[in-house]
Amino acid sequence: MKINKYFLLALPFYLIFIFFFIIPLILTIIVSFWDYTEYSIIPDFIFDNYKYIFNKCFKISTDLCVTFKTYLSTFYFCFMAWFFTLIIGFTVAYFLVFHVRSVGMQIVLFLICTIPFWTSNVIRMISWIPLLGRNGLFNSFLISTGVIDEPQEWFLYSHFSVILAFVHLYTLFMIVPIFNSLIRIDKSLIEAAYDSGANGFQILTNIIIPLCKPGIIIGSIFVITVVMGDFLTIGIMGGQQIASIGKIIQVEMSYLQLPSAAANAVILLIITLLLIWTMTKFIDIRKEL
Amino acid sequence: MIKLVSTCNIFNFYKGVDMSKKMNKKITRRSMLKSTTALAGAALGSGLITGFPAIHASGTPTIRYLGTAVNMGSEPEKKLFEDTGIKVKYISKTTDEVVKTILTQPNSFDIVDSEYFSMPKLVPSGSLLGMDTNRIKEWSNVVTAFTEGKVNGKTIGDQGTAPKKVLYLKGPNSTEFSKEPTRYATLIPTVYNADTLGIRPDLIKRPINTWAELLNPEFKGKACILNIPSIGIMDAAMVVEAMGEYTYPDKGNMTKAEIDLTMKIFTEAKKAGQFRAFWSDFNESVNLMASGEVVIQSMWSPAITAVRSQGIPCIYQPLKEGYRAWAAGFALPSTAKGRQADICYEYINWFLSGWMGAYLNRQGYYSAVLTTAEKNMKAYEWDYWMNGKPAAQDILSPTGKKLASKGEIRDGGSYNDRMGAVACWNATMDENKYMVRKWNEMIAS
Amino acid sequence: MLNKKGKSYYFCWGFFLAFVIFLYGPTFTIVVLSFQGPEGGLTFPMNGFSFHWFHKLWEGGGYVDIGSAFRRSILLGLILMVLTVLLSVSAGMAFRKKFFGANFLFLITVSSLIVPSIILSLGIALEFRLLDETLKFLGDKYSIQWIINDFQTTLNMYSSGLGAQLTWTLPFGLLIMFAIFNRFDKSFEEASMDLGASSWQTFKFVVLPIIAPSVIGIALFGFTLSYDELARSSQVMGATNTLPLELKGLTTTVTTPVIYALGTLTTGISFLAIFIAIILFMIMRKK
Repeated sequence: MKINKYFLLALPFYLIFIFFFIIPLILTIIVSFWDYTEYSIIPDFIFDNYKYIFNKCFKISTDLCVTFKTYLSTFYFCFMAWFFTLIIGFTVAYFLVFHVRSVGMQIVLFLICTIPFWTSNVIRMISWIPLLGRNGLFNSFLISTGVIDEPQEWFLYSHFSVILAFVHLYTLFMIVPIFNSLIRIDKSLIEAAYDSGANGFQILTNIIIPLCKPGIIIGSIFVITVVMGDFLTIGIMGGQQIASIGKIIQVEMSYLQLPSAAANAVILLIITLLLIWTMTKFIDIRKEL
Repeated sequence: MIKLVSTCNIFNFYKGVDMSKKMNKKITRRSMLKSTTALAGAALGSGLITGFPAIHASGTPTIRYLGTAVNMGSEPEKKLFEDTGIKVKYISKTTDEVVKTILTQPNSFDIVDSEYFSMPKLVPSGSLLGMDTNRIKEWSNVVTAFTEGKVNGKTIGDQGTAPKKVLYLKGPNSTEFSKEPTRYATLIPTVYNADTLGIRPDLIKRPINTWAELLNPEFKGKACILNIPSIGIMDAAMVVEAMGEYTYPDKGNMTKAEIDLTMKIFTEAKKAGQFRAFWSDFNESVNLMASGEVVIQSMWSPAITAVRSQGIPCIYQPLKEGYRAWAAGFALPSTAKGRQADICYEYINWFLSGWMGAYLNRQGYYSAVLTTAEKNMKAYEWDYWMNGKPAAQDILSPTGKKLASKGEIRDGGSYNDRMGAVACWNATMDENKYMVRKWNEMIAS
Repeated sequence: MLNKKGKSYYFCWGFFLAFVIFLYGPTFTIVVLSFQGPEGGLTFPMNGFSFHWFHKLWEGGGYVDIGSAFRRSILLGLILMVLTVLLSVSAGMAFRKKFFGANFLFLITVSSLIVPSIILSLGIALEFRLLDETLKFLGDKYSIQWIINDFQTTLNMYSSGLGAQLTWTLPFGLLIMFAIFNRFDKSFEEASMDLGASSWQTFKFVVLPIIAPSVIGIALFGFTLSYDELARSSQVMGATNTLPLELKGLTTTVTTPVIYALGTLTTGISFLAIFIAIILFMIMRKK
């Protein structure tokens, strides 16, 4: 194909992705085979970084190795965050599209949902701590109303608080694409189904959900990628006690163990791409937008 | 513009001549090259690209100060400017990130405040300049805890990376430590302290006197340890020894087997739910303690001060096994030269001249030069902080917050009692890489 | 079903309200705690009531210079906004026709969303480190004076930092452009060309007005995504920090309710901005 003016239009975009995306990824893969000391990285071709990651992983024993355990816990958070953001995101988007009829009202309610997102992530996360702590507002409230006798420990620095924070931070990213898909559904289709005797549940499962599948998948891809690579939320809300693969990479980087971090990154990349690849089997993103 | 740049290069040239007397020929040749091509090359590059030499040569001298937040604050910044006309721009990072920045971006700062235990990592990399002690006015008054490892004439614990082991370099650009005192120091000492466990006396309600209490099941879900491996491992070792599980030949330089053993004990405690959280930052430790999430944890002295100034009781509990000490100091990047280096030395001399020492002492740290600090403190303050005497009147922090009421005694008592009871120092071990991995495994377990 | 206020209707309203309360719960804590007294900490109980921390925020200075980090983040966000709009609109126009490597470009754009940010951040940091080393090597070899004397690092908020954030905002921009052009009626454009307009005129007077609302959307997206970005920026900002990184750094040193004051302020400002937007919207509709 000849190089035309459309190519030139896309060229800056192209260059940015080559320089800031393709090259860095290739470098990461290369460096994952390098050696390192306390204060430098040494060009080499060794498999030590990978060997260390899978150290003792393929021996048959009752205990899982650290790497597998960490991935299991990361998958667990991924699944929980995905599940709850999907349920909540879908319901909210459904409400906005089918129950709020004036466009003005839709916009206002939508904006109400987005305002908290203008406050920095870190602040929003930290602000859960005074609510959930041992002497926090929830515990005080529950004790004073007599629901519980003693402060509950599992509110904070637990799996619960991590998932809560994820849901709080990322539900909007599920709402937007689902909303976008739902609003394009021809309402007469639903009227027709209703007139021919379908009940609400049937309409939901047979018409609405299939039609908003692209929105659901795009939202899911987003939530899953963000959670797979997370290190901050799990760190802060998990009291630094819960492992995640992102956290391991971040710690290794702060100790300048770049090759080791790169090796972990390569494995994480492969796993994430496999997950997403499976999901995109269901839709063609480009056509569905 | 050109004029400014040439001024800047005169300084370089001057330094080149100065150094050629002491240094090898290579540097002379390089400096000559610099001065000859100066106008052509530097006029094109220096000022235009970074802007900084021009600013420094012309206006207010400014230094970019990299370090943890310990010595940073707006009061010292103001006082420094009043006294010397130097402006300081703080770059505040965590202990680990300071090391990382020195190694990866040695040009992003003019002066760095680092800890002695990082020296075994930093010195071989050649990223720091040997500090010329002849240019430090108060060098002869630096406390013996640094230079000889003694307090009040008594030798203190030196397990770990004690400052005296890594204080001297063989030459200004050497990457090897010298056992004998030389003219060149790795870091010019500034501040140090003896760390121990912090407790909430109102929630524990009984005396605590040993490191072993950190793993006492009585405090299940209410204990905490810090998540900075090179410091945390030393606290862990103190606990393991106190529990009578094992006595290390040298806590500061464990073998792989010893690291495994220490981490195994802590991993089991973690799985049993002993810890509420791990803190990796100063602020987390304050919040954990102030909100009552944690009643016993490894803690730093200003964190105790911060909890107390919120009106919450908190004690920096002296323990019978002794303290874990740390020490920090100033260094310049190996690329430092010319006027910028002069300004940094001037800053260091100001730092040790007393006002700052008093500022540090009033927060519960110790200044590296106590003689000048004493002159800047009131007698009753000195008695409280340094001599372990009851406060003759209310003790205030540098910002004017009340830290102790009349009649109270400092936790742990006098300087000689506290620093004299040091058992070990923060450390970088030979097996550091292995240790960091094991530590991460504990966090992941 | 749609016109009846059945169980589903009330359930959804209730659900939505609960969701809003959930969303605003922490905002409520932020607002309350930002009025903490000068002695107070980051957690309850309140220790008096004051505007102390708003003053501190305004003053800036010291190591808790949130104000200037805030300004830096806004500036970076604005630059990002402009670049995102320009690059995604031009690439979006290009994608309407076939060009060399179009599919490949689409593939890497989508992958950029999918690759965990921390990995990319690591990669970009490595790339710039190698670039630094190369420059220094060249500088020494050819005695290039400014490199020897003054070269610090290419790693900077407006080089690597900007690039890292672009890999995050551009895919969103491009996807929105796709969404627009999928529903774009080409007959207007063709009519304009038939009437003899140049392609630039057609773009300026026909295409742009039609896609304008969505372009504003891209701009807003670009700014917000940049303003809140953390993972991708974490390793590439060099000596200066953006607001989220500064805040993260702050929690690692000494934190005060200043960050809550900032939270209150940003929430307040966004409420105000949205309120003004709604009023303007209503005025415009009346015209």
